[in-house]
Amino acid sequence: MKIRNIIAGIAVLAVTATACSGKSADNGGETGSDGVKTGPGVTADKITLGSLTDLTGVYATLGKSITQAQQLYFDELNAAGGVCGRTIEVLVRDHGYDVQKAVTAYTEVQSKVAGLPQVIGSPVMAAIGANVANDKIMTIPAAWPSALLKAPYVQVVGSTYELEMANGIDFLLKEKGIKSGDKIGHVYFEGEYGESALAGSKYAAEKAGLKLVEQRIKPTDTDMTSQVSALKAEGVKAILISAGPRQSASLAGVAAAGGFAVPIVSSSPGYSPQLLGTAAKPALEALFYQVSSVAPSGVDTPGMKALVAAYEKKHPGELLDSGVTFGYIGAMVFGEALKKACAAKDLTREGIYKAHQTQSAFDSNGLGVPLDFSKPGQPGTRQTYIHKPDSKAKGGTTLESGPGASEAANSYPFS
Amino acid sequence: MSKLRYLPLLLLLLPPFYLDLFWLQAGLFVMAAAIGAIGLNLLTGSTGQLSMGHSFFLAVGAYGYVYFAGESDEHLVGLGLPPVVAIVCAVVLAGLAGLAFSPIAGRLSGVYLGIASLALIFIGQHVLFNVHDVTGGYNGRAVPPLEIFGFTFDNSGDVAPFGIPFGGLEKLWFVGLILLGVSALFALGVLRSRPGRAMNLIRDQQTAAGVIGIPVARTRAAVFTLSSMYAGLGGVLLALTFQRAVPDYFGMLLALDYLAMIVIGGLGSVTGAIVGATFVTLLPQLLTRYSDSLPLVSPPGTGGVSPADAARYLYGAAVVGIVLFLPAGLRGLRIPSLTPRKETTP
Repeated sequence: MKIRNIIAGIAVLAVTATACSGKSADNGGETGSDGVKTGPGVTADKITLGSLTDLTGVYATLGKSITQAQQLYFDELNAAGGVCGRTIEVLVRDHGYDVQKAVTAYTEVQSKVAGLPQVIGSPVMAAIGANVANDKIMTIPAAWPSALLKAPYVQVVGSTYELEMANGIDFLLKEKGIKSGDKIGHVYFEGEYGESALAGSKYAAEKAGLKLVEQRIKPTDTDMTSQVSALKAEGVKAILISAGPRQSASLAGVAAAGGFAVPIVSSSPGYSPQLLGTAAKPALEALFYQVSSVAPSGVDTPGMKALVAAYEKKHPGELLDSGVTFGYIGAMVFGEALKKACAAKDLTREGIYKAHQTQSAFDSNGLGVPLDFSKPGQPGTRQTYIHKPDSKAKGGTTLESGPGASEAANSYPFS
Repeated sequence: MSKLRYLPLLLLLLPPFYLDLFWLQAGLFVMAAAIGAIGLNLLTGSTGQLSMGHSFFLAVGAYGYVYFAGESDEHLVGLGLPPVVAIVCAVVLAGLAGLAFSPIAGRLSGVYLGIASLALIFIGQHVLFNVHDVTGGYNGRAVPPLEIFGFTFDNSGDVAPFGIPFGGLEKLWFVGLILLGVSALFALGVLRSRPGRAMNLIRDQQTAAGVIGIPVARTRAAVFTLSSMYAGLGGVLLALTFQRAVPDYFGMLLALDYLAMIVIGGLGSVTGAIVGATFVTLLPQLLTRYSDSLPLVSPPGTGGVSPADAARYLYGAAVVGIVLFLPAGLRGLRIPSLTPRKETTP
């Protein structure tokens, strides 16, 4: 009786499973009536893209800026007729910098999207990297470690943390009177971000004959007092920092309060204009410099002026940080890839990535330096800008120097 | 008749053929959480020992598996054992960690053990963040896929039973079902036999238990060890589903989630643990997925209540409501026509 029931049950299962499952082996590769090959996320009138962003966690400000700037670009693109007669829609998923939520969100959106123009967080990118390659989804991470240059289907937009630090040291040598034989400190986060930056500073310091004093910190350390006193005891002439904005504020504030006025050069994620609302403002304005792949919001180029005007119109009174610029460039890179893919009549995931790789001189109209995406494994550019905090400027920074690439950055080997 | 009641369980074999990856992943998270919750329920629900350190043992299981099964490279170390052996080793390791703590677990009871075990989380997190070679530090480490006799449980290979392509999650679903089934049956066996009765007596009348000859401290220590092995197995399944183990995840909030699961589901029962695990694990994921169309929950980033917060409020409210109105937990909600009358044993 019992055995017979079970066998009958299994037989029923097998039959139903074969008969009416909505899941099929066919995954894209259809050709629409307009002769364009389409894949997942692309229908006859819509292209769906995904954003895995952080709107509630530690990088919430950055996530909000990038998300709003990308939406702005896609709205403009849709108003101009979209791509291939299709409008662009973005599915935004918040992971709050929690890797489990990000993995869940990725699993949810992956079958619905043609690409991911925004993924925030090195740990998140590391967690979904293998799947991105497997699902062939073109992805733009909001992270710049060189390890991602090699990852298939992942496009780092801008230079990398190594190059930022190499250019930062060059700035110290040329403008701040640091010379061969001096000691400089480097305070960095453990993990991919900090260690990539350290590789760059080590390389450039050795070339310039500087001695590097390393201080490794955790993302949870926010008081830099002990690091500052250790660096002061070593007698460093300048400090590099590759951490978050809170660490930067603490470092500058503690150093200035202790009469230890040396120039501080930060990696791009280490500064946010909100810091100018804190007690560290005078110290930041006096000592602090940020290396970045994008131009400051106040720079006088046609692209930046248009972006600032449009963004301020849509989100009046909101912060114009480098996340806005970066997000807009990222969306532009994606938009151009889609247009090229449309011209080649191939809007499958592979088609989009292939079209993207034909762009050897991507020009963001003055938002950043021109980028070359045709050489996988190499950064799109080795040039960076040096920003200086300024509470009176739009976006909280002014241009100190750049764009430019130092000798060390140009010769840095990406093995 | 009584055997036929279990036939609907066969329906659990169906989801990989129908549901999309989101649901399969959510289901696997539920199964992993259910295994851990069954273990915690043996300890807290049946023996009356409060443990706040459950997420530590989950982490031991997850990282144990990654360490035993992973390969060494320039940054990380691993033993490269076959994954099945690695699972067994990871569970044993979690058990050993529990055993090491059991002298304390045997002596303390109730709230005192809760506070002592809280220390495990903090020690555990500190160790996880700093043993770079094993855990990969802050960014975590990739989890090697399960492999049984050359059959790999990831997206590789062209496996398509009945014409439906099977990726990693589809294949893992069946592994999860088997692990959960075995865990649940074993726990039922323990609860319905001599040790189970001893555990309940220790919870209700510790002195009486001692008087009739139950070795109180030894039983407590043994249950603590067993519970950590359950957590270890849950951790392994969690890591396999996740494909990445991140130290940050195994913190205080996770331990509280597990306590919420057993309270919501019903203390001291296996079904209760499974029901509670389902509720607590699925709720935030569902709220996030449908945040666009739910009232009161605002899409992330627009201010207002985010889905993650809303889920926490909801199950905070659920805990209060259940403690007040359903002392036996969600398990106590019985639908009369479906539930056979319970035979009472004298």
